[in-house]
Amino acid sequence: MELRYWGMAVALSAALGAPAHGADNVLRLRMNGDINSVDPISTTNYTIRNASYLIYDVLFALDADFAIKPQMAEKVEVSADGLVYTITLRQGLTFHDGGKVTAGDVVASLTRWGKVDGLGKLLFSKLAGIEAKGEMVTVLTMKEPWGQVLPALGKISSNIPVIMPARLAAQEPGDAVKQPVGSGPYKMLVDEWVPGSKAVYVPFEGYKPRAEPASMAAGGKLARFERVEIINIPDTSTAIDALLVGEIDWVEEVPSDMLPLFEGSDQAEAVPARQSGNSMQLVVNHLNPPFNNPDIRRALQLAVEQEPFMKAINGDRAELYKVCAAVFFCDTPFASDVNTDRILKRDPAAAKALLQKAGYDGTPVLLLHVTDIPAHDAVYSVLKPMLEEAGFTVNEQISDWASVASRRASKEPVDKGGWNVFVTGWGYIDQINPMTNVYVAGACDKGWFGWACSEELQKLREQFAATTDFAEQKKLATRMQEVAHDLVPYVPLGQLFPMQGRSKSLENFLDSPVPFFWNVSRKP
Amino acid sequence: MLYYVFGRLAAAIPTLLIVSVFIFGLVHLAPGDPAVLIAGDNANPEQVAQIRERLHLDRALPVQFGIWFGHAMQFDLGASVYSGKPVTELIAQRIEPTFLLAGYTILLTVLIAVPLGTIAAWKANGWIDRLVMAFSVAGFSVPVFATSYLLIYVFAVELRWFPVQGYKPLANGPWNTLVSLTLPSVALALVFSALIARVTRAAVLEVLQENFIRTLRAKGLGTARILIVHVLKAAGVPIVTVIGIGIAALIGGVVVTESVFNIPGIGRLTVDAIVRRDYPVVQGIILFFSALLILINLVVDLSYALFDPRVRG
Repeated sequence: MELRYWGMAVALSAALGAPAHGADNVLRLRMNGDINSVDPISTTNYTIRNASYLIYDVLFALDADFAIKPQMAEKVEVSADGLVYTITLRQGLTFHDGGKVTAGDVVASLTRWGKVDGLGKLLFSKLAGIEAKGEMVTVLTMKEPWGQVLPALGKISSNIPVIMPARLAAQEPGDAVKQPVGSGPYKMLVDEWVPGSKAVYVPFEGYKPRAEPASMAAGGKLARFERVEIINIPDTSTAIDALLVGEIDWVEEVPSDMLPLFEGSDQAEAVPARQSGNSMQLVVNHLNPPFNNPDIRRALQLAVEQEPFMKAINGDRAELYKVCAAVFFCDTPFASDVNTDRILKRDPAAAKALLQKAGYDGTPVLLLHVTDIPAHDAVYSVLKPMLEEAGFTVNEQISDWASVASRRASKEPVDKGGWNVFVTGWGYIDQINPMTNVYVAGACDKGWFGWACSEELQKLREQFAATTDFAEQKKLATRMQEVAHDLVPYVPLGQLFPMQGRSKSLENFLDSPVPFFWNVSRKP
Repeated sequence: MLYYVFGRLAAAIPTLLIVSVFIFGLVHLAPGDPAVLIAGDNANPEQVAQIRERLHLDRALPVQFGIWFGHAMQFDLGASVYSGKPVTELIAQRIEPTFLLAGYTILLTVLIAVPLGTIAAWKANGWIDRLVMAFSVAGFSVPVFATSYLLIYVFAVELRWFPVQGYKPLANGPWNTLVSLTLPSVALALVFSALIARVTRAAVLEVLQENFIRTLRAKGLGTARILIVHVLKAAGVPIVTVIGIGIAALIGGVVVTESVFNIPGIGRLTVDAIVRRDYPVVQGIILFFSALLILINLVVDLSYALFDPRVRG
């Protein structure tokens, strides 16, 4: 038989044997990472966070106006002195194992979350007590009035304050929960979970969505697919091809060089996920020379500029990035252009002059050039010549992300396993809020990697948390940026707006900084 | 024969021990801390320390090895530090696609390479021989990912004859499984055929010089019968040896193909575990593969007796 007809016979058989993707009620998703854990408290990994929203629910949630709304909570009453928060659960909430959701589960879950999450720890440090009063009521008693209670409980990004059965929440946060029992719109089929390959979810028949329409993380969450599969396709080119032929429905991020493949496609489209933007940063270690010297850190700001980094990542697709030096991202409530002159325009001559003034002795700057994350690889390739032009001595070593992620925890000198700088990226939603932005904590050796130290930043953050007046918060946030850009815990390298790939057969997506899949449906 | 088999199996134990120590040391000495990777980018040092303590990573290396090896001898390879799933379960989930991909590839390879190599040797230095050798060089030189992308583009994206990616388990119907494995198997078979065609050609050429072949021709036996019944049998030992090596490589080392075609095989599981420093999974897989390789070598050695009566004696 001719090869051509054999192939067509095979294809016909395959077509007859399998349902046509894109026409069935199965949603197939490809995220940036894979589902290797089911516990969003034991890890801050974004992919696990995203998947957790399918199976877990939360007490409060952010809506599209960034207002905190009750989700599992029916209502919350705050005492006149701002010290007592009484939260009543909605009636009829159940877990996937059939157990009723009670205030005891809420207390246990929040307590577990409060041990690891930055904002959670802050909340619990302000708490005089948390207790269940009966089955439906949770009471939080504060030591002092604090304006961030509900924003903390409605936190949208890692670690999300999910509610799970008390028996599972009793585990220490470092001991990941192995049974994904939540009360969310979908439940996970653990028997079909192949870590590193596929995770499968089906609607939870006991879920009671809120009556309001869905609005970002809040409102009614409708499970419209009979099955959701999160498929780990390691090769991005293959994932894009699979989307374009209809084998999968959604790809979290489309590299800029593959965007032309979508032109003229009747199957899929690339859409900007502007709310899911992130930024690249060069994190600076304040403990080790040469960057233990503030003037040399400021020389670093003068040595670099953002456009070359952004072009290295995105090519000429200017719509995919923005030059932005705002600590809390551009086009956000707390955005500011205060104290950004040194950052926005590279000035090697000024950098050299400042290095000389600072007494820079040529101590090499260790660049751990990560090659297994394409965006990082691109940035490091551009960074080295910029630093050298500005007068820095650079010691570049090829590395991988796993090694850098481990090494950055070291406070040792460079020659004993420490570090000088590393490149990383943060999501929009984590950085727009001064309470979750790690670069304005100024917490010294208790802070995030780099260990930038500033008593003023610590005080400003406390003041921010204590007020609910937006104008006052804006003033404080602006001052935080001013201090941070003098302190230089990091150098911003640009803001990115990745494109998502989506099947044209889908509708009702929610624009949000975290991808949500309730309410999404297939067009009739 | 039975004593031979048992003796070989007994000799495997010290081999496995040496492999275990080597792999354990290599994995743990590599830079990178799984506790940091598990905790994620936003984690603080306390979270990382808790995880390290839970996974016994804060204990001395010999203690960690002792704990792990002691369990391994009871067929407990531990659990993934990420998912918590037993390593044996993770391997079991990947066995079917891995073995089926290997089997399908070897079948295609033998069907392509052995006849090509035999014909090339029979028509040595002719145009067929040169064509086969050119194919062999090309097959070996072109990276498998390049071939894979080309196959996907032509047969999956443009012609839509095969899926772009993914594996359909046997439970979904064997025909679907076959279709889902065809493109990756062809991509791999092109590489392995190149190698095995050359080995076949060399082995067959050597046998064709033997006196008994001249005798068979003189007795009037047809060319096809001589080649298939007598020459290939005599040339079988080196060919089977390379096929055995190929099977071992296919089971453990086709990460690129598994990644490009999204086949959930053991190769990918291994690489993912290494990148994440998922020590129990890396160690468990290497131990499993070492045992498997010893078994494959044993089967290959025993098969020599089929080809060479002198070995039976």
